[in-house]
Amino acid sequence: MKRIGTRMLLAGAMALPLAGVAFAQETGGGGGAGNVKMPPIPNVSQAMLSGAGKDSKNFLHTNGNYDQTRFHPADQINAKNVKNLHVSWIFQTDVRESMETSPIVVNGVMYVTTSFDHVYALNAQTGEQIWHYKHEMGPITVYCCGPNNRGAAVYDDKVYIGTLDAKLVALDAKTGKPVWTTDIADPSLGYSETMAPTVVDGKVLIGTNGGEYGIRGFVKAYDAKDGKLLWTFSTIPDNTVGTWATKDATGRDMHRDIEAEKAALAKNGDPAKTLGGGVWQNPSVDLATKRIYFVVGNPSPDLDGSLRPGDNLYTDSLVSIDLDTGKLACYFQYIAHDVWDLDATSPTVLVDVKGKDGKAIPGVLHAGKTGYIYVHDRKDCSLIRYSEPMVSQKDRWTLPTATKPLDPNAARMFPGANGGVEWSPIATYPGEGMAYAINLEQEMTYTVDSAPYPNGKLWLGGAFTNVPGGVQAGNVTAVDYNSGKIKWQVKTPQPMIGGILATGGGVVFTGEANGWFKAYDAKSGKTLWSFQAGAGVNAPPSSYMVGGKQFIAVAAGGNVQIDSKRGNSIIAFTLD
Amino acid sequence: MGAFRLAIVVAAALAGVPAAGNAQSIEEKAQICAACHGDSGIPPEQSFPVPVIWGQKLGYLFFQLRDFKSGARKNDVMSPIAEGLDQKDLMPLATYFSKKAWPDLQQKQASADAVTQAQRVNTSVVCTSCHQEGFQGDGTQPRLAGQSAPYLQKTMLDFRTGDRANNPGMSGFMRGLTEQDIAALATWLGGM
Repeated sequence: MKRIGTRMLLAGAMALPLAGVAFAQETGGGGGAGNVKMPPIPNVSQAMLSGAGKDSKNFLHTNGNYDQTRFHPADQINAKNVKNLHVSWIFQTDVRESMETSPIVVNGVMYVTTSFDHVYALNAQTGEQIWHYKHEMGPITVYCCGPNNRGAAVYDDKVYIGTLDAKLVALDAKTGKPVWTTDIADPSLGYSETMAPTVVDGKVLIGTNGGEYGIRGFVKAYDAKDGKLLWTFSTIPDNTVGTWATKDATGRDMHRDIEAEKAALAKNGDPAKTLGGGVWQNPSVDLATKRIYFVVGNPSPDLDGSLRPGDNLYTDSLVSIDLDTGKLACYFQYIAHDVWDLDATSPTVLVDVKGKDGKAIPGVLHAGKTGYIYVHDRKDCSLIRYSEPMVSQKDRWTLPTATKPLDPNAARMFPGANGGVEWSPIATYPGEGMAYAINLEQEMTYTVDSAPYPNGKLWLGGAFTNVPGGVQAGNVTAVDYNSGKIKWQVKTPQPMIGGILATGGGVVFTGEANGWFKAYDAKSGKTLWSFQAGAGVNAPPSSYMVGGKQFIAVAAGGNVQIDSKRGNSIIAFTLD
Repeated sequence: MGAFRLAIVVAAALAGVPAAGNAQSIEEKAQICAACHGDSGIPPEQSFPVPVIWGQKLGYLFFQLRDFKSGARKNDVMSPIAEGLDQKDLMPLATYFSKKAWPDLQQKQASADAVTQAQRVNTSVVCTSCHQEGFQGDGTQPRLAGQSAPYLQKTMLDFRTGDRANNPGMSGFMRGLTEQDIAALATWLGGM
């Protein structure tokens, strides 16, 4: 664990109100707060959570609202004045490591998390620290892609986080002290938590990481009051065989050897027990139908299909289940029998979309690692359309080769295993029918190397490897989800991981691995403003209002997966 | 002392250790480890490479003891020792060594060419994705910075051949590297 023991001083024009103290569980603020009072810690009602989509004051969910539109209605900052945006405050956490947190803001109080599961409550107006919780990590943590935490959930008088040692922790929102802790799963078998929970109707919903370790994935619901398990939905059913689909969601042949798979199934049986199927990101919640929608990650082992014959249901799928019972409502599989780790991780979004007959119907969006935005009918999960590809599709679907990873004959393919859209949430402009995604353009080799289930150890079934000297770039892409057409695309010099935000002022915000945090015109893609944060901005931004001012907040902590420069800052921007 | 002969010596020493469940403390049980791993955390010169375990990550040490005991990882010296350990002693032993200070082996830093080669490998494989920035490790992922370079080299080669079979993910990555890549990585990491 990397830490800084004391706050770094900010120089010159950035001599801002500094956040308080260096040690866990202390409270109070540093100098510069002037006569601004610490805000009272508010309780969060279900009505507040349900109304978050129209709440320009707060940012109550990881992705803004239950629909996960990442559209924040505040419009004080707009396409004309965003050029005047500047730093209001910077808070430096105690952990200089990969930051993926979405700042949550409730009535002037901000909750952020860091790698290794620290949580901070901050004064959202000044950046002063109110409290700091450091999770006491168990000895066994098994995770693939960095010690990340993507944020907290708030409900009533509590703040909830999942932890790397596979626990769900409820903190007292006023003090940051644990109220209850629940074991979600056995971390020694590869289960870990990096996603933010979602709280709805008194239930805390959370999935699991572990698709690289032969877990059996799930989404679980816990009682928000006491942590009691209410239901478990297994993302891997007992029968995972499916229909022996040979084409992906876009109609491309995946070159499956169905006869060999059937022979393996007859010999070894259904691979369900170790088939993976993690859930990396929050579900969207349809409050009207009481159904939730989420995507399920890759099968285990990632690259070796010989050990897991069949379609590997419900891996690489959109899944909808009943909120009250956890029972399956519908699913749609994008890639059957994935051997490229091009699974489904970016969170789903609920918006009205044009159906196949052109009439508006309730829809679901998902931006796939394949680099497409998929548009579904919310009723039965069926696919209505998919967008133009946002990234190169060179050599898809080349099967992984049994060669060494950097062998000249090793299979190469775009997108690489980080995909065209990673876990990064998309944003939407529902009134305009627009979706905004950030992309990675990485060429990788895919090789297969069969090994039996290793009891919770890394189980890729081969290797995916960046091609030395190969393409490493990214995009910001705007897609009309009613036509599937790309409206605009901005190239970036490095792969994009983090997230994106659209606001009522017609501005889209997102950050880059090289430290630039930028504002784009939502309509044209024109760059309107930029700020150099000094570390990779690889986290989703948030927007809120306090004291009559709109703030944009984002974490700049770098990212493990693309190895961008690490930092430890939460930065908040205002117009004056 | 050859590995086989040492194994006999250690096995004999273990035979003299009273059975688990007695009053012997973890510190006393850990004494047997000093023969190879060093009584100050620096492994003494031997005919086979031995890793630093003082200050190593707790989860990693526990997994290795567990795997040596179960047979998932095999070693002429460690396998019989782990076999003789009581299951309930594995975590306390791992805890005991994880709390010791990581020793400085004073290994020489890698040449500029080796650093370049090793960094290229890290760009390709992203070793730091699991071993953390600075190769400091965390949880069940071992610290590599400052580890014995000969041990690192041998264990990476063993992953590649499958002689070390308790992490197929590592084997997959190592099979993409040349012997020169592995040698460069070992000296780079050892010299950190």
